[in-house]
This record gives sequence, C-alpha cells and structure tokens, in this order.
Amino acid sequence: MSGLFAIWRRELSALFFGPLAWTLLCLALLLDGRLFVGELAASSGDVDVATRYAFVVSFYIAILAAPLVTMRMISEESRAGLLEYLLTAPVTDAAVVTGKFLAATSFFAILSAAVFVYGGVLAAQGLAPDPGTLVAGWLGLVLASALFCAIGTFASALTSTPMVAAFSAVLLDLALVLAPQLARLSPAPWVQRLGARFDLTDHLSSSFLLGAVDTARVVFFLAWTGLFLFLAVRAVEGRRWR
Amino acid sequence: MIRVSHLTRRFGAHVALDDVSFEVGQGEVVGFLGPNGAGKTTAMRILAGYLPATSGSASVAGFDVLGQSLEVRRRIGYLPESVPLYREHRVVEMLDFHARLHRMPRARRRQRIPEVLDQVGVRDRARDLIGSLSRGLKQRVALAVALLPDPAVLILDEPTSGLDPLQRIEVRALLRGLAERRTVLLSSHILPEIEATCRRVLVIHRGRIAADGAPQDLVAKLAGASFVRLEAVVGPDFEKALRLLRAIDGVREVLHRGKLGIHDVFEVHGEGDSREDVGAIAARTGWALRELSWQRPTLEQVFARLTLDLEPAAQSAAPAAAASGAAPAARPPVVTLNPFERPPPPRGGSGQSA
Repeated sequence: MSGLFAIWRRELSALFFGPLAWTLLCLALLLDGRLFVGELAASSGDVDVATRYAFVVSFYIAILAAPLVTMRMISEESRAGLLEYLLTAPVTDAAVVTGKFLAATSFFAILSAAVFVYGGVLAAQGLAPDPGTLVAGWLGLVLASALFCAIGTFASALTSTPMVAAFSAVLLDLALVLAPQLARLSPAPWVQRLGARFDLTDHLSSSFLLGAVDTARVVFFLAWTGLFLFLAVRAVEGRRWR
Repeated sequence: MIRVSHLTRRFGAHVALDDVSFEVGQGEVVGFLGPNGAGKTTAMRILAGYLPATSGSASVAGFDVLGQSLEVRRRIGYLPESVPLYREHRVVEMLDFHARLHRMPRARRRQRIPEVLDQVGVRDRARDLIGSLSRGLKQRVALAVALLPDPAVLILDEPTSGLDPLQRIEVRALLRGLAERRTVLLSSHILPEIEATCRRVLVIHRGRIAADGAPQDLVAKLAGASFVRLEAVVGPDFEKALRLLRAIDGVREVLHRGKLGIHDVFEVHGEGDSREDVGAIAARTGWALRELSWQRPTLEQVFARLTLDLEPAAQSAAPAAAASGAAPAARPPVVTLNPFERPPPPRGGSGQSA
C-alpha cells in the first residue's frame, strides 16, 4: 500500500511539474466558467440549472482531457525504460497501475472542485445552491472521470506511443458514451433496455446531478472502472512477455 | 546467493537464453561477458524479476524470482542499461521516491540518502534536476538508486556504458569498493573492465554459457601461452637468426612472422620469459632492435575465440610459417581483433615493450 501511495504521490506531482496539467486546468476552467455564467444568465438566475449545466460541460471535458492526462503514464515510461525500473521495484503491477490511475483521477477531482468555487461565489451573492447537490454532482463527476482515466491508463498500457494511446482512449470513451445512446434509438425493445442500462450520461444526470447518490449507480461506475483497471494490469503484465 | 537452473527464455522463435545454469556465491563479483544479443540483459532481467523465464528456474537469496518476486526485488539493487530516472525530479526526490517504494521509514531515509550520495560522489548535486545532469552523473545517480536499499545482491547491466574513460575509471573504483560486502553480477562490453573488477567471468554466447571461471584461468586455458615478440633487422640470413633463437635454453619454437619494412618479426615460444637471452643475442650479433616485448594473451582473445570461433593464439601460430619464412598468410578480417596480429604500423612498434 505504501508503494501505491508513493507512486500516486510521484505521478500527481509529476503532472503539475509539466505544462499539460496547468494548460488543461486553465482551459477547462475558462470554458466551464464562461458556459456556467452564460447558462446562469439564460436561465434567469436558476442556480440549480446552471450548476447542472456546468457539471455536464465538465463531463465532456473529461472525455477529451482524461486521455491527454493518462496517455504518457505507461507508454512514455515504457519507452524511457522507467517501466522496467518500476516493475523491478518491490511493488506489484497492480499497485503501479492503480497508483498512476489514482493520480490522474485526483487531477480531475481537483479540476471538478471548481463547482465549489461557483457555489461560494453564488452564496456570496445570496443565491446559495444546495450543498448536497453540489457534493453529489462532484462525486458523480469524479466517478465518471475515474472511468475515463481507467480507460486512458489501459490504452497507455497497450502502446509505447502516447498519441496513439490518447487517440485510442478518446475513441473508447466516445464508444462507451455514444453506443448506449444509439442503442436507445433501436426499434428492438431489448436493445433499448440494454442501452438504457449502460447509458453513462443517464446514470449521471438522473441521479448524481439531481443530488442523489444512488449506490447502484456508484457500483456501475466502479465496476466499469475496475474492469478497465484490470485490463490495464493485464496489459502491463503482458509487456513482460513481449 | 544466485542460483540459475536450466533457464530458457524465448521471444517467439528467437531463443534468447538456452538452458543456462550457473551459481554465484555470497560475496562473489561475477562479470557477464558477451556480444550484443548474447542473452546477458535477458538473464539479468529474469533475475531482477522483470521478465519471466519460458522454462527453468532462478533464485536470488533463496527466493524464487517468479514465485517470490517481491521478496527478490526487496533484496536486489538493479541498474538497467537504460539508466531509468525521472528527469523532472531532483536527485534527492528520485532517491526519496525509491526509498518509499522500499518502505523505508523516514528516519532511515534521512540517514541513507546522504550516505549513498556520498558513496557515488554526487552529494553536491543532490538538489539538481536529473534532466540537467551529464550522462556520467546520471549513471552515478542511477547507481545510488540501486544502492539505496543496501541490497545483498547488485545486478548491474552495462554500468559504464556511455561514460568517458575518466568516468569509467571512477565507476570501476566505485564498483570495487561496493564488491567488498555484496554479491555483484555485472555485464560489460569493456573487457579490461571485467578483468579489473571481477574475480570470475561468465562468457555468454548465443544464449548459452560458453565459459565460466577466473579471468586468468580462462586466459591460460583458452587463449594460449605467453611469448616473446622480436622486431629487428637481422641481415639477409634470417635462418641463422632462427637457429640462434632456437638455441636459447627453454625455447620450444621460434616463428618467423615475415617482414615489417626492413624489420624481421619473430615470435619466441617456450617456457618462461626469454627476453634477456634474446636481448643478449641481439647485442652480441649487432641486430638493430626495434621491439622486444613479452606478449600476454588477454581476456579479449578468449572472448574473440569463444564468440567469433577464432583459434587460440598458440594454435594459430602455424609452424609451417617458421620453416618457410614466408610472409603471413592472408587471414579473415576478424583476426584484427587479435592484438598479436596487428596490421603493420607505419613506423615503430606499439606492443608491450620490455
């Protein structure tokens, strides 16, 4: 566990040593903040609608940003020989992968925490949003980001080229988000039901963004995240045989 | 301390290690020698727990490298050839990270990090960014990382590759100091380095152990005996010179290796060093002497013989050449690796002069 913690700590600090994390933070906050203010004006000061909108924007930002944050985590290290260093240190492959994944997820937890700043600013204006809704929305966003980070980590473990890893992860993310929505348009009822069950956006918008933390939906996100983390660990183990 | 038994590793159809077995005892310093692609790195990676073997077994400090990999990794210091370091970190941060991976308590970290920085001579660069260090300093930092957990076994893959000659001497001295308390397995292309550092050499070739023993024993067994080399102007009758040299006590065979310009080249084989006797003959007969040297076979010759299938020096010296006095026969280009068969220098000799 201490090895996992050491890897998480190093990866998170390394993220902030480079320009990518700061650039992403800056762009995401600018975009999200601008759209939040726009939505607040358009909804005539409806704080809940504007907050929900800010969460949805953050969700789509995570789809594109998570692959950028995770793309180098394993692929670049493999190329630089650092993976050999980590995999001969007294830590398990699972700890290496999980430490990296948790560092990426922590970055998105920090990024999404901007909503609390919005909440604070609104509270100062006498328009305080419901704190429970904010926390539940943030939790949902962190869970969704964790899934995208797990996918990104898996893609990074598959290749030694970071750009290929990022591109594959974006495609996987989009497939996971869009396929259930397409399935819902199918004439076959069982395909529609399947689509509804696997619809990420629906799991987010009909629970967390309304301020409800539904354990079934928490398990849904954790299960998918666990699956991709498991695949990432297997991919790293597979590198030993190449 | 290290036990390898019938180890085989395949990469698809390519067999990198083919039924390799050897043991390294506690406190031994063993040099792994072999050309590129011989299987040295593969063997070291298996011992370090990075690669699994296709078949066979290996253990370090009594722990199986596959089944008890974490136990093995806690007990070894491994320095891969690629010198893996996080460029964006400071030297001290890299060491701190490694110490945390080894679950070192804070007090031990505070004591051990300055110790190893002193040991490898980079204490004054502790706050420098690794990315800004020279190749030699990075190599030292990587060595410090390997030494940090005070491992019982050190596995060093090409620890001096990419270093300049001065840095190589420094690292070599450092390794000699480390070897006093640890079992060390190190690979290198630089043969004098292995000769200087290791008391035992494992020559690996095409995935198999080609030779195993002390450098001097391997040289004596595989590279042939030492001999005296003579370059002198002996006049038109070199047959007379041959007779005089053969008459020296203890001389078994004298070979005429042709001419280098106006100088005749002789090799005097026999028991012991006969340079004084040869010198006395030269002084007595008035030969114009250019070189009189004692030629010792080197590990390089053993290596060349084992990996390039060369004949040992003693066997390559064909007696027929002596009888006929003919110029040396044309040889394949690999012979240039043999220091006994140097191409003719433009002026003056370059052997180990007497």
